[in-house]
Formats: sequence, C-alpha cells, structure tokens
Amino acid sequence: MYKCVIAMLFVTLIVMPLSAMTAQQIVQAMDELETFEQSYSEGQIITTDRFGEKKSTFRAWSQGTHDSLIEFTSVAERGQKILRTSGQLYLFYPDAEELIRLQGAALRQGMLGSDISYEDMTGERDTLSDYTAELLDTEQVQGKSCYVIKLTAKTRTVAYPIQKLWVDTETFMVWKGEFSTQSGRLLKEMEVLQTMTVDGRTLAQITRISDKMKRDSATEMHIDLLDLSVDLDPTIFTLQNLTW
Amino acid sequence: MAMKLIHIAFRNIRRNLRRSILSGTAIAVAAMSIVFLFALVQGMRDDMAGNLATYYTGEVRIRNQSYEEYERYNPVHLTVNWPQIDKTLSSMEGITDYVPRIQFASSFYINGGNHPAVGIGADFAREASFQDLEAVVKEGRIPRAGENEMLIGAVLARDLHIDIGDRITIMSTTATRGSNAITLEVVGLAAFPVGALNSQFFWAPLDRVQYFLRMDNEVQQVLVTVENDERETADLIKDRLEQAGGEPLEVQAYNDISMMYGFLEIAQYIYYVIGIFFLVLGSTVIINTTMMVIYERMREIGTMQALGMHGNELTRLFFLEGAIISAIGAFVGVLIGTIMIVYLGQVGLDFTDALSGIDMEISSVLYPKFNIWTTIIVYIYSVGVSAATTLIPSRRASKIEPVEALRYV
Repeated sequence: MYKCVIAMLFVTLIVMPLSAMTAQQIVQAMDELETFEQSYSEGQIITTDRFGEKKSTFRAWSQGTHDSLIEFTSVAERGQKILRTSGQLYLFYPDAEELIRLQGAALRQGMLGSDISYEDMTGERDTLSDYTAELLDTEQVQGKSCYVIKLTAKTRTVAYPIQKLWVDTETFMVWKGEFSTQSGRLLKEMEVLQTMTVDGRTLAQITRISDKMKRDSATEMHIDLLDLSVDLDPTIFTLQNLTW
Repeated sequence: MAMKLIHIAFRNIRRNLRRSILSGTAIAVAAMSIVFLFALVQGMRDDMAGNLATYYTGEVRIRNQSYEEYERYNPVHLTVNWPQIDKTLSSMEGITDYVPRIQFASSFYINGGNHPAVGIGADFAREASFQDLEAVVKEGRIPRAGENEMLIGAVLARDLHIDIGDRITIMSTTATRGSNAITLEVVGLAAFPVGALNSQFFWAPLDRVQYFLRMDNEVQQVLVTVENDERETADLIKDRLEQAGGEPLEVQAYNDISMMYGFLEIAQYIYYVIGIFFLVLGSTVIINTTMMVIYERMREIGTMQALGMHGNELTRLFFLEGAIISAIGAFVGVLIGTIMIVYLGQVGLDFTDALSGIDMEISSVLYPKFNIWTTIIVYIYSVGVSAATTLIPSRRASKIEPVEALRYV
C-alpha cells in the first residue's frame, strides 16, 4: 500500500508540469514570447480586397510592452509613422504640421486600409491586465498541439471583448485567434501561415488577418527581418523624435 | 340674342355683387395659388439645374465607370486620366467649358477631435470661366495653385470656430488606399448659395489635392458644360473618349444623375393634376352661388320661360354668368400671382432655416420664375375648368317647368 502511494505521487509529480499549466501561466508565456526588451523589424503588409492587392512596407522598433514605433517605407506612405508610448497612439504625417493622437473609435480603424487596426499593430502585450483567461481545451492546429484559451475582457475599453486563442503547447506561439463581441459576433480572425525562429523563439513570420466586418478582405503581414539584439536609443519613442 | 344674354348675364352679376365677388374670389385664390406654385417649382428646377451644373456635376459629368458602384466605400482610387480627357474635349465641338475636380471625404483634426468635411480639389484658373467663385468669397481670397491653402464654407468655419489664417490639418484616404494628412492654411471664407456647400465643403488647389491623395495627374471627375442637348452631347463625349482609349468611363447628363432633379421633373406633372383639384375646389363656390341664384330667381325664370325663353337659353344665361365671374376671378388671380412672382423673383424666398442640415442641391434662397406661357395656360385652364363646372347648376335651370316656377314665392 505504501509503495503504491509513493508510485502515485511520483507519477503525479512527473505529469503535473505538462498538464496543470493554468490559463494565466499560458497567457503570460504567450505575452513573454511576443515581448522583446528591444527589437527592430522590417516587413510588409499585403491587403487583398474587392479592389485588388495593395502592398506597404515598414520598419518597426519596439521596447518592452509599452513602446513601439512603426515607419512606413513604401512610396505611397513614405515617412508616415505610428508611435505608441505611455498608453497613447500618435500618427505622424510628413505634410501635417501637427501630430495626430488617435483615441476612441479611431483606434479601431484599419491601418492603411488593411484588416489590421491601429490597436492590433501596436497593442500592448499585457493581456492579463485587461482580460481574464480560461483554458477550454487542447486542439491540433496545423499539426501542432495547442491550448484553447478564452479571454474575456475585464473592461469596456478593449477592442475585442472576447478572444479565443490557440496557443502552441510547446512554443506558446499563437497559431490562430478569433476575436468577437460580447454577444459572440465574430469581428476578426487571425492565423499564422509561416513561422520563424529568432534567438530560440518561434515567432510568426506570415500572419493572415481577416476583418469579418469587411467583405472579401484579408491582410497578410510578413516579417522579413527581426533583430532582437539591437541597442536602441530610448528617445526614439518620444514625441520630439517623431517630428524630426 | 347672344348680345342680349351677355347683357342680362352682366346685369345679374351686378344685381348681387357681393355673391359674385365671393365666387370670383374663390377662383382668383385658386388661380393665384396655381400660378405661384408653378413659378416656384420652375424656379426650384432652374436653381437646381444651375447648382448641379456649377458645383456638383456640370451639365455632363465624366467619372470612372466603377465609381458609382463603390461610391459608399469612398473609392478615391477610381480616377480618370485628366490629360487624356483634356486632349479629347479640347478638340470637340459643342462643348462650352470643362473643369477637372476631385471631391473627397475627409476630416479636420482640431483640438484632438475629428470633424467630417468634404474637400474639393479644383483648378482655380480654369474655374474662373466655369463659375463665379470670386462672387461667393465672403472674406479673404481664392487659394493659389501650388500652395497649401483652402477656401472654406462660412458655416463650416463658424461651426468649427475657424478663421482666416488658421492652419487646419485634414486627413483622408488616398488613391493608394492608404491614409494621409496635410495642413492647409485657411485663406478665404465662402458663402455659396447652397446650404450644404457652406456647412460641409472646403476647396483646395487641384495640384495640392492630387499630391495629398497620391493621384499624380489623375482626377476624380471632369465637369462639362455644353451648347446643345446634354444627353446627346454626353453620348458623343463617351464615344470620343472610348475611341481615344483608356479606362472605361461613365459619362452622364446632369438630369440623369440627380435623383432630386428627377423628382422635381415628376413633381411638375403632379402639380398640374393638383392644379385641377384647386380649381374644382374653387369652382364649388360658383356652383353653390349659381344654385342659390337659381332658387332665388325661380319666379323670374318662370316668367322668362312663360315669355318664350327656351331651356337651352336659360342654360346659356347661367353658364355665361358663371363664365364671366370665372374669367374675371381668374384674371385677378393670375394678375396677383404674377405680381407676387415678379416681386419674389427679385427679393427671393428665404428657406435657410428650413433647408439647414438638409443635403440638397437647392439654394437656401429661392426665386420663383415667371413664365408667360405657363401664366396664359393657367388662365385658360382656370376659366375653362370653372366655367365648365357652372354647367351643372345651369342645366338645372333649364329643366324647371314654368308653371312650377311661377308658384314659387
């Protein structure tokens, strides 16, 4: 009997770390994966809608969970910048004499006519401060075992009151996401088409986002370069730097 | 005999002058209302046609063929090749003038808030011959080509507390389906005759708008004024532009574009029918009066029949009385209506409050339009309808038996 109890405890201790990860821990691991102390990236946004295909290129810098800067490099948008700092989002246009601070509903507008909203692009990665997480199940997505996590908003200020995410059980990368209203109406879908490994992290390289409020529209975001070993000047995330 | 009947009819009208005046007044009010109503509708039609041609569509508008289909999505990228259209139109006969324009949805970024506004990119040098823009500039001046300047509707400026010299940042979707913002200096305030143009629109130089919206040499529409029939010329322009090649185009006459103008055209016919009802209503007063006269003059009718007057002569007598009252009443009504039209045609009818907030291509101040032929037709129409209705009681008089009539006290 004694031996039997010891054996059961042993088995429990071995299996527990694999199966008993809480939803909060999974979300934290997911946020940590996507948060870089400092990063520099280059990529492109390809939007396909009823009018055809549109491609924009960009380069981006980020620092921690709160600061990010995106600069568009494609001819049509050259010089336009988006800065997120101190919880605020600012747009810089080369021909405008003032910075435009986006707030409220404007944050949910599609960036450059794409399916990605400004909030999606520069959203803070501190999910648990805005959402409560619940582990629903585990499912296979693109041959990978994933936790199915349901996030329910704690406040009314978030873009998506309900999120359902498929998080890789090994890498904690989000393979798929469904973003809905409180009543369950699907607003947006996200799916990773291709991954890359940078500094031992598995990250999304090509992500497909589809705004369900738009008909026949989808956007692919390609990350062509990601450097996590950069040493950035913190002043690049300031308003003063934006207007230079 | 006819002269005698006319003489008797006039005498009878004079015998009961107050009643005759009452009948005539009813016809006069009806005729005056119809003349005025027709003049007002004509004035509205002409005003709308003028506004459409000058500010909105030209007499013929050239746009990208797909624009209308996607209009609700603000398809700034659905443009037309301006240099090619310019080349084709310049070689065509029957065209008075044409201007390139870019109309685009935008928002003013003021004190952290967005305020919707509609921008028009215009070549002000070409616009000088197309419209009298100088006349609508209330304060300041017209923007200069190549400068980041704007002319803004006075009501929009008032609502947003904007004044001359202010620098406003505007945001819009571009032809590359991205977004852009530019800061423009307000150099003029405009008071357009159309309320919507004052409260929603601003004008900027075409070249700056093309740059801002990433349009190169493209424009959103070309407005054309023509010498002859708009629809025929539109077809002709379409043929010539198709021969020249390029993207498929939509070439339409203004009266086929504006739904409101179409309604006004239909309304004119509806008002003709309403006019008949007005007159029939006015004529009921004549019917009533004539009936009363017949009953009052029953002994006289009996005497006249006993002296040898036939039934049809009695009908003619009462018909003549009604017709004379109708003719005089209609004349007075048409005359008063005409005086009102001529006066209000100069002074105008101010509908500023009624039309505020309504997006229609009609001016806030409307001028009824006098038309001699409409006036003559209304007069004939009034006399005809009113006189015809008097036949009903007049025929009653002819059916009275002399013996029966003489028993009346």
